[in-house]
Amino acid sequence: MNGYPDGIVKQQPEWLTRQGLFDLIYLRLRGAGQRLSLVLLDMLAVGLLWILVSYVVSWHTRSVVAYTLVPWWLFGLGVVEAAALWESFGRSLGFKVARRELRSRDGGPPSFPQRLAYFVGWHFTVLPVVGLLFDPSWHERVSGLTPAPFTMEGRVPTPWWKTSAGVYVAAFLVVSLAAATSTTISEESLRRLFTEAHRTVKFWKALFSPDTSILLASIRDLLVTVFMAVIATSFAVVVSVPLSFLAARNLMRGPVGRSIYTVLRGTMSIVRSVEPVIWAIIFLVWVTARRAPFAGVLALFVHSIADLTKLYAERLESIDPGLIEAITSTGANRLQVLRYAVVPQIINPYISFTLYRWDINIRMATVVGVVGGGGIGQRLFFYLKNLAWQQAGTVMILIVILVWAIDYLSARLRAKLA
Amino acid sequence: MSPATAVAALAKLDWTTFRRRATSFFLDWMIWGYIAYGVMYLLNKYWWTVPLERFYSTLTLPSWGWPLVIFGTLEMAIWSRNLGRSLGLRAFGYEIWGADGAPPRLGQRIKRALVWHLSVLPGGLGFWLSPARPWHDRAAGTVVQPAPAVRLAGRRKAIFSQWGLMSLLLVALTIWLGWLIIKIDIGVLVRRGDEGLRIWREMLHPDFRYFAVPDPVFELRNLPYSILDMAVITLFMALLATILGAAVAFPLSFLGARNVMGFNPLGWLVYLLMRGFFYIFRSIDTMLWAVIFAVWVLWGSPLAGVLALTVHTVAALGKLYSEQVEGIDPGPVEAVVATGGSRIEVIKYAVLPQVAPAYWAFTLYRWDINVRMSTVIALVGGGGIGDLLFYYKNEGDWAKVGAVVMVIVAIVWAMDYISGRLRERIT
Repeated sequence: MNGYPDGIVKQQPEWLTRQGLFDLIYLRLRGAGQRLSLVLLDMLAVGLLWILVSYVVSWHTRSVVAYTLVPWWLFGLGVVEAAALWESFGRSLGFKVARRELRSRDGGPPSFPQRLAYFVGWHFTVLPVVGLLFDPSWHERVSGLTPAPFTMEGRVPTPWWKTSAGVYVAAFLVVSLAAATSTTISEESLRRLFTEAHRTVKFWKALFSPDTSILLASIRDLLVTVFMAVIATSFAVVVSVPLSFLAARNLMRGPVGRSIYTVLRGTMSIVRSVEPVIWAIIFLVWVTARRAPFAGVLALFVHSIADLTKLYAERLESIDPGLIEAITSTGANRLQVLRYAVVPQIINPYISFTLYRWDINIRMATVVGVVGGGGIGQRLFFYLKNLAWQQAGTVMILIVILVWAIDYLSARLRAKLA
Repeated sequence: MSPATAVAALAKLDWTTFRRRATSFFLDWMIWGYIAYGVMYLLNKYWWTVPLERFYSTLTLPSWGWPLVIFGTLEMAIWSRNLGRSLGLRAFGYEIWGADGAPPRLGQRIKRALVWHLSVLPGGLGFWLSPARPWHDRAAGTVVQPAPAVRLAGRRKAIFSQWGLMSLLLVALTIWLGWLIIKIDIGVLVRRGDEGLRIWREMLHPDFRYFAVPDPVFELRNLPYSILDMAVITLFMALLATILGAAVAFPLSFLGARNVMGFNPLGWLVYLLMRGFFYIFRSIDTMLWAVIFAVWVLWGSPLAGVLALTVHTVAALGKLYSEQVEGIDPGPVEAVVATGGSRIEVIKYAVLPQVAPAYWAFTLYRWDINVRMSTVIALVGGGGIGDLLFYYKNEGDWAKVGAVVMVIVAIVWAMDYISGRLRERIT
């Protein structure tokens, strides 16, 4: 070796080679991360169930809501101990998700002392995290147990109610349903649901005997609503089309491009999360209630920009790069590439998305009217508030016809474009 | 012509082409009607100066005005169709050509327009008696046919053709009308800019004082919940509505699928009833349902919101589910039927395995929508976190509104993300 006699140049120990160091640091860290995420999953599961149970209990026994029922440190301790017990003495949810189970090093099932050692060692290994960096980790060395891949070989399948993870999922579903029903359904409201149905009879009757005297005025408001949707959509398209190119990941390369992409997409998803109704409230205060339809249009406009930019950009991200390469290789400039490679691929989906959004905006425009955003919704809400059932029913019929017609039209056109 | 030959002639009429030509004509007529409406509106706005309210509600037209509008627009539609390629013809891909294959001459076009009145106005006589080629085409020596795929050289660019100009006119007219009807006033955004800036500034400095502790003002309204409590209640509302809605829509979806219901009269009836129910209930928005249930149950109780969300969820999911059932591969169904399976067994062993992933995906999608809706349903008495939002907004306490809005954004954003990830997993 190297021309020197053996023994003069000492062989590097294996862990000192580049690969060895890499293994030591990277693989150990990755393994520890994986173990830790399973432990965290178990803790999250236990914690969520605890919170739900105490939510239900406190809801029924006290008048205030409590999430843990005990001091927070006791909650933390309980969650950690429960997770440790679950992992040591059963097959926890985390192990189930990872498709693993505890086996003895020699392949047999774990004995009780082994599990106990695993449980005790768990505290000294997982809690300071350091122990997980060793392979096998400390508690596995102490107990002689290892998380082996789970196989069904030579076993009878256990029904779900005999596995701890199955019982957990069932309990979680039951408790969350109990929490959902107890928070949303109060005794009084349930009683009224069965005794006060007659309050709406007038409304249903009105659906069959509309008040024709308000028909013309209602159709006027219906037109306002349609124009609100049309104007909001068309102005939003003008803004979203250029924005969508800036929000497409495959077109925005480089550090500057990527940061523009990130900022734009983030903003859009935040704007999209706020319902048009909330936007309408903000704009109503801004432009005053005297210009109600304008506030409604602004609300729809802002929400449509965010929604359309996302839809458009996602479509841009899935275009076929082959065409772009083909046009580029003929020596075309950027504008020509856009005209002959990108636009033909996106034009039909763009029109289709726009029609879809227009359809949504018509519905939204009726809803935005409810907060005072103008159009037919405002009229409907006025009638409902004043308990003018017959008039409300008439307006409702008109809205249903409009939404139905627009829905049909937009679906037909979109089917044609697809 | 004897009745027998008339029936034979009618049988020769190509109904698809006829329907398309008729629809394209009505499209042109509607377009001119819309232009007439716009012109009237603009005349009223800039020249007549009749108050707009009166213009709408009384439709200030003299007694001869209505026939004038109807026949005037009809004439405009006819002449625009015959003297060029109108938008209606373009939309259906039609073009008028000479019978000899050359573009029609001006004389032919005028003749066609004139004969049209004799041919179509008396109840479409020209079509019924001469189904292959109606009278006006025959007299003018023209045919209406699909436009050739390859354009002749030297044709006008789209922008200079009649339909191109018409589309531009329609867009301009719509934006002009919309601008006036909605009373768009960009200036007010600037004039009241201070007010707008103040709202934004306060909302961006949110007041999270009552995030975990109930706001004392709500003790009066018997709502001793903090923002966090309300957020949890809102999530539960969406969860309950989605579960209930999916549970109801699941069996109904099979009743609304044509291939499951079969083609016997009873099956058709059930199918039509189900589909009609889905469509009508879907067209009424959740917010409007919430008003009805709020009056019924209790204004501001979460149950009203849950019921409103549930009704809309049933209709929306029912439609999506049953469309999915209609799109299944009939092979497995036939296989199960061949082994003598009952209708329930067909659903269990042949239909369900095919639709299950899509069902889950639709349900998750609906859950996402329900979370969005439940955040604002309080506005119409549906309960949930929106209660706080609208209370603080009415108080003008924008810092607290900002806090609530941020919580809403966090919830909606997280649910959007989770449901998107799960849907990716499923499909």
